[in-house]
Amino acid sequence: MLSRSQAGYLARESFAGFGRRKLTTGVTILIMGSSLLVLAVLTLATLNLSNLLETARSGIDLRVFLEDGIGREDAAELQPHLVAIPGVEQAVWISAEDALEEFRTTLGEDAAVLEMLDSNPLPASFHLTLTPEARNLTAVGAIRAEAARWPQVAEIIYNQDWIDVLERWTFRFQMVSLAVGLVVFLAAIFVISNTVKLTIASSARLIQIQKLVGATNAFIRTPFLCEGMIQGLLAGSLAMGLLAVGFWFLKENLEGLVPFTPAQMGGFVLLCMFLGLAGSWAAMRKYLTLQSETA
Amino acid sequence: MNTDMNLAPGPLDSRTIISFNRVSLAYKDQDALSEVSFNVTNGEFMCLTGPSGAGKSSILRLISMDAFPTGGQVRVRGMMSSKMNRRKIPQLRREIGFVFQDFRLLEDRSVEDNVAFAQLVVGVPHKRIAENVSRVLNNVGLWGKRHRLPHQLSGGEQQRVAIARAMVNSPKILLADEPTGNLDPRTAQDIINLLFRFNDAGTCVIFSTHDHEIVKSFGRRVIVLEDGRIVSDKQRQGIVDRSVNLADRMYRADLDAAASREEPAHA
Repeated sequence: MLSRSQAGYLARESFAGFGRRKLTTGVTILIMGSSLLVLAVLTLATLNLSNLLETARSGIDLRVFLEDGIGREDAAELQPHLVAIPGVEQAVWISAEDALEEFRTTLGEDAAVLEMLDSNPLPASFHLTLTPEARNLTAVGAIRAEAARWPQVAEIIYNQDWIDVLERWTFRFQMVSLAVGLVVFLAAIFVISNTVKLTIASSARLIQIQKLVGATNAFIRTPFLCEGMIQGLLAGSLAMGLLAVGFWFLKENLEGLVPFTPAQMGGFVLLCMFLGLAGSWAAMRKYLTLQSETA
Repeated sequence: MNTDMNLAPGPLDSRTIISFNRVSLAYKDQDALSEVSFNVTNGEFMCLTGPSGAGKSSILRLISMDAFPTGGQVRVRGMMSSKMNRRKIPQLRREIGFVFQDFRLLEDRSVEDNVAFAQLVVGVPHKRIAENVSRVLNNVGLWGKRHRLPHQLSGGEQQRVAIARAMVNSPKILLADEPTGNLDPRTAQDIINLLFRFNDAGTCVIFSTHDHEIVKSFGRRVIVLEDGRIVSDKQRQGIVDRSVNLADRMYRADLDAAASREEPAHA
């Protein structure tokens, strides 16, 4: 348990590095903030793409067209089998008449052209809506195969092929983002680790005296870990600030894009603090190992 | 080589504060100490001497458990090197004060802050820190210069700050590694007298030096090391005691040494 005098000392020492090496610390925060900005932009782009994909997926549905002459009773018999297919949320019956009416509405002013037809050319169908888990290519393929087994079914139309393309590109983008994010993540740890190493090197005598008078390793480490965390906090806040400014300047061009929520921003800054902590820990661990080797 | 040296450690009794039992230490492939044995009793003042590289500093590092023996056993205040939990080393260090030849002060902190630092890091409350710092700075005669920075002090004064810092936690053992190495004879005498005073108050002092003049002035126990082995461990009695003016002896020795260096040039 820390005494008040120790806690005060640790708090002062955690900020001492900033005062002693203003330029180095400033440059570190700037470099790290810029790297983290890249990470933030990639994360935001991934989130937006995922949102877009999710919105598109929520519109995924299947039209199961029935053979000519299938009446309401046959259809009523088929309906429970379609709903029983895993991934199907609902199967809504659309009679040939309803389909024509729907088409008429879609045509609007051009609907007069329908008056030229002798009979209704549109077949009856079921409109299948899917559960959220089934809104992907694999599941849709399985549902189509399952529904096609029934003799009443003439054709199944899945008219949103562009979602397939979007899904493939989203996946590729996510993979690239992950790879770039990982590099930025490691680079940020490296940058912080090096800055903390400088602090440690310039505090070598201080550390030596602390050891001599009986300070514990945990006590010696704490200010350096705090320094790394504070650097992470400042760099993360800088990245979020720059992102917010960027959004503000480009808001007309970025219409429809979703910015980070306050909770996501907080989470990002927390992640940056963790990066700072990890960087300091790496620097300290090496240093203390070196100490014990030479001891 | 001295033939009547006492190399075997005496029996461990309740007054034994440090015990070396056939202790060896090697740095990589080089032997620093070979089968060294001795005991130190509570409140003793002991001098380690020998040429550079003889193993004096290694013994001090082993006592503070800054190094661990490659053979044998070191016991300090009941803690054995072979069974030492590394997490307990800080506890042991709080009972040991250190003084070095190069003072090792924090240059950007005042005399007062340098001394207070030793208390701060071990969690002494502020009020007691102020009391203890005042007491120990008065003891070493530097209370009046408490606001100065180390570079504003003489070498002797800086060493007194280092001693104050070593003593502020009231350690049971004070390890002084060549504390007079950077000082002129008169200042060295002052520092040794200061160490005697702390010893008189009950602190066990282990003092290393390669300066024969200082060793001759001791009316205390002297261990002589050579190539990592003890070649003599004797209580010096009646040769000189600390009432003899060490400064004068060292000054004369310096003159003799200078004269002998110059002789060939005149010849």
